[in-house]
Amino acid sequence: MEKKSVSVTLQNVTKKFKDVKGKADVIAVNAADFVVEPGELVTLLGPSGCGKTTTLRMVAGFELPTEGKILIGDTDVTMLPPNKRDTATMFQSYGLFPHMSVFDNVAYGLKLRKIPVDDIKKRVNESLDLVGLASYGDRAPSKLSGGQQQRVALARSLIVTPSVLLLDEPLSNLDALLREQMRVEIKRIQKTLGITAIYVTHDRVEAMSLSDRVIVMKNGFIRQIGAPDEIYEKPDSRFVAGFVGKAAFFPVTIGEMVQDLWSCELGGKEVKVAQIAPNVKKGDSAVLMARPESLRLEEKGKGHIDGKVRMNVYLGNSMESFVQTPFGEVLVQIDDPHSKKVYKEGADVSIGFSPDRVRILAEDEE
Amino acid sequence: MVFIAADIWMYNSLSTSFASYVEQRNYNEVGLFVQTAPEDQADMAAWLAGVSTIIPDSQALYFAYDASQFNFIPTSDGSEVAGQVWVENSSNPDFATALESAYYLESMQLPSTYITDIGGERTPVRIFFAPTIAENGYEATGAVMILVPTTNASGYARLLRILAIGAAIAFFAIAWVITFTRDPVTGFMVLGLFMIVAIFVAYPLFEAVRLSFLRQGHFSFDAWKMALSPSYIVALWGSLRLGVSTATISTILGFLIAFLVERTSFKQKKLISTLATMPVISPPFSLSLSVILLFGNNGLISKQLLNLTNTSIYGLGGLTIVQTISMFPIAFLTISGVLRQIDSTVEDASLDLSATRWQTFKSITFPLTVPGILSAWMLVFTNSLADFANPLLLSGNLRVLSTEAYMMVTGRMNDLGGGAVLSFLLLLPTVSAFMVQRFWVSRKSFVTVTGKPSTTLTELTTTPVRRAMAIVTWAVLGFILMLYLTIIAGCFVRNWGIDYTFTWDNWKAIPDSWDSLTSTVLLALISAPVAGFIAMMAAMLIVRKKFPGKRLLEVLMMTPYAIPGTLIGIAYVIAFNKQPLILVGTGAIIVINYVIRELPVGLENGITALHQIDPSIEEAAQDLGADMPTVFKTIVLPLVRPAFISSMSYTFVRAMTAVSAIIFLISAKWYHLTIKILSYSENLRFGLASVLCTVLIVIVLGVFGLMQVLVKDDKLTQKTISTR
Repeated sequence: MEKKSVSVTLQNVTKKFKDVKGKADVIAVNAADFVVEPGELVTLLGPSGCGKTTTLRMVAGFELPTEGKILIGDTDVTMLPPNKRDTATMFQSYGLFPHMSVFDNVAYGLKLRKIPVDDIKKRVNESLDLVGLASYGDRAPSKLSGGQQQRVALARSLIVTPSVLLLDEPLSNLDALLREQMRVEIKRIQKTLGITAIYVTHDRVEAMSLSDRVIVMKNGFIRQIGAPDEIYEKPDSRFVAGFVGKAAFFPVTIGEMVQDLWSCELGGKEVKVAQIAPNVKKGDSAVLMARPESLRLEEKGKGHIDGKVRMNVYLGNSMESFVQTPFGEVLVQIDDPHSKKVYKEGADVSIGFSPDRVRILAEDEE
Repeated sequence: MVFIAADIWMYNSLSTSFASYVEQRNYNEVGLFVQTAPEDQADMAAWLAGVSTIIPDSQALYFAYDASQFNFIPTSDGSEVAGQVWVENSSNPDFATALESAYYLESMQLPSTYITDIGGERTPVRIFFAPTIAENGYEATGAVMILVPTTNASGYARLLRILAIGAAIAFFAIAWVITFTRDPVTGFMVLGLFMIVAIFVAYPLFEAVRLSFLRQGHFSFDAWKMALSPSYIVALWGSLRLGVSTATISTILGFLIAFLVERTSFKQKKLISTLATMPVISPPFSLSLSVILLFGNNGLISKQLLNLTNTSIYGLGGLTIVQTISMFPIAFLTISGVLRQIDSTVEDASLDLSATRWQTFKSITFPLTVPGILSAWMLVFTNSLADFANPLLLSGNLRVLSTEAYMMVTGRMNDLGGGAVLSFLLLLPTVSAFMVQRFWVSRKSFVTVTGKPSTTLTELTTTPVRRAMAIVTWAVLGFILMLYLTIIAGCFVRNWGIDYTFTWDNWKAIPDSWDSLTSTVLLALISAPVAGFIAMMAAMLIVRKKFPGKRLLEVLMMTPYAIPGTLIGIAYVIAFNKQPLILVGTGAIIVINYVIRELPVGLENGITALHQIDPSIEEAAQDLGADMPTVFKTIVLPLVRPAFISSMSYTFVRAMTAVSAIIFLISAKWYHLTIKILSYSENLRFGLASVLCTVLIVIVLGVFGLMQVLVKDDKLTQKTISTR
């Protein structure tokens, strides 16, 4: 399985579909342009209908781009059918062959490559061993649990030693516990083999925990590309901020920059903010984004925004306080609640934050 | 471009060489012909008349050699046309040269083509002059001028042109596929399907339409005027009356039995379903035959038991009974399919809201079934109108279009165009019924979108109601059973109606009809896998692939479903009894006809089956390196196996019991058992007909049983596919 890792390059890839009536064009993917480095695992993250699966299917060859080019390594594969591409896809529904045993499912790709029967046997058994299903070869796929089916699909994809592994929401049919296990498993195998991978999901936790980089998509557009922490802490837009994690947004007007801090007007008060998205400038009306864990509760009048505690939800290692403010209900996460002062439900409080823990973003166009 | 050039060059050189070949041949023929010249002047006229048997449509004129004048003198022997040509051209130097060469014992062809008037049509001819030679071998006794129409060469030229154009089209299509698609295999498959439907669906129908507007080679509305004359409107009216009465009674009966089976706790459900579906697969004449045996002029019940003399089973009444018996299963199957899917919980909800059972039935169950009832009615109506076998035996004084069309073609008129027009008349109600069924009724269906079929059943009927329904059902099924038993009884009776003694004699029908039996089975056996395979392939392309013209392809493939068999038969005779495709008389045309006619059902089966299969299964296979054919072979075909097998067996059964289309297509070599049954029945040899019917029923039931066994163990696969 030692194979050189390759990159995947999308150059201005656009995909248009006809709408249901066959009249107007619907743009599913709009000028996607990015490079997945060799051995990297990149996640396409976005709500359903954002074009992430279409992008993946174009890399796999199931869809043809309307415009643009797709390269695997240095080879232009834009027009190649799926069976001529060195990619392997794991489908959301696994796509196991129901009329074949587990063994035959895994062996399918090898048989097509006319590999001698003995070799096939050896390699299939090895790979079933790798995914922990050594004794399940004779079973029908329908006789396996969801997680086992998943692993059969993984073994089937990996046995043909593809250069690129494409994963289309492979964990969405599994229960929470199994999902966590498989997530770790996939990451481990991907890193061990050094295989380039593109992973599609709408689950931000999955995206964060698995990826080297995350590509956030919406309505066919790529909204932001970055490492998980970058996407989470330095989102460029309100959409990305809201999609990758919980966040509170407050309307602000941007003023002067003084000593690396922007002075903004928030509900008649002045607040200082250290971070600002690149597409916002002085005088704009924008939003101030704050993660629940960046906010803190203080005595009334001491923080930036006054409010009243509506409800406290105790979660063990943290507590979530829902605070009613003039800007709507705001979630404040209090870590290690035992060591901090807890405000009872109904108490008047004020929400505070430090300038470097919040970020100013443009109002989204929609 | 290169190809066009090559194609044109090939066409040119072929047609030139062909033309010169024809001329050379004519030249030789002329030479041989003149050698047979008679000694006696008196036989000359008869001999010259014979020229047209050597060279088709040619004309000749004899010139006697007058040694005193050193000249050839035209005689009155030969055709007037030739004489006319000579009169017109006697001063033409070419003619003089030709006669001169005849003097030197040389045959010659005039260099140019002349236009003459043969049989009222202007015909281009080539003109030959050949000497008749005296016994001594060196003296010309005379000369023969022979006019050879060039038309018999032009037939081949036209064929050649068609082939050249066809080759060009095929080449462009192939070139287009190779250059503009990244999946040529799919492209070729699509192309192949388009060619099949173009040649075997669109072309014959087009030819039928064309012929219906032609009278002796000229455009005319004669055929349509004839068809719309009162005499044939009566036949249309007869068809419609029959269709409405059959459809209505069948639907009521079908609903009754379906309700009993699906919505009550009635016991022998399985038996009822089996008996009620029997008529669907029985040969077309069998029920008519047994009705005649029981209720005909010499029928067992009508004459022997009741001694009726003034009633007749022939006509609307009897035909409605027979059609209802053979077609109510369609209504039964359709309606029970709908009833089965109605979730009992909606009825429970209604009862829970304190509706009575009758109110629940009236306001909930029945309205949910209405779309099914309507489509059942339409289906039976269409089938009744297209039915050909039963009216042929039982129509009596009632005139219906399907048999009128047949009479028009086979009767003394031998009018293909007229037959086509009458079948088109039939097409109007059937196509509109089909359209209504497909696009209106099926859209109104609520049932397919509501939830899962539930396991519990809410009893909506009281015991007395249920009993009444059961009595009606058993009466009908008993009647059906009786009809079948009558056929079996018919096999062993010496002379039904007159002499009821036991005999084995009728079984000689089997050795007598052995050839038709084997050819019937053989052709059905060939058709079944072909139809099944094409249907599954087309289903995969239509469900899974995107290509231009997909909708058109689907429509063309579904077309034969809505077209009465009579029309297809007539259209095939019209289209395939001439260049470029002469297929009438071969077994191939019968196989093609079966395949084309049964494709729609197989296609529907395949499409339904594929819709239940997760597309990512095929994508996974492709992703692992399988190309289209491999995916089809290793994944699709095994997964749609139940649909594949049922399409095959359906085609086989339909081929075994076909009548309406193939009655036009059979030949002495490729005969069909059902036509044999028909001719026995028409000749009142009921014993022999009964034996052949029984044989057919046994074969068909055997295949049906085999299919049930084959498909049964697939239920498991089917389930896992849909639940993944």
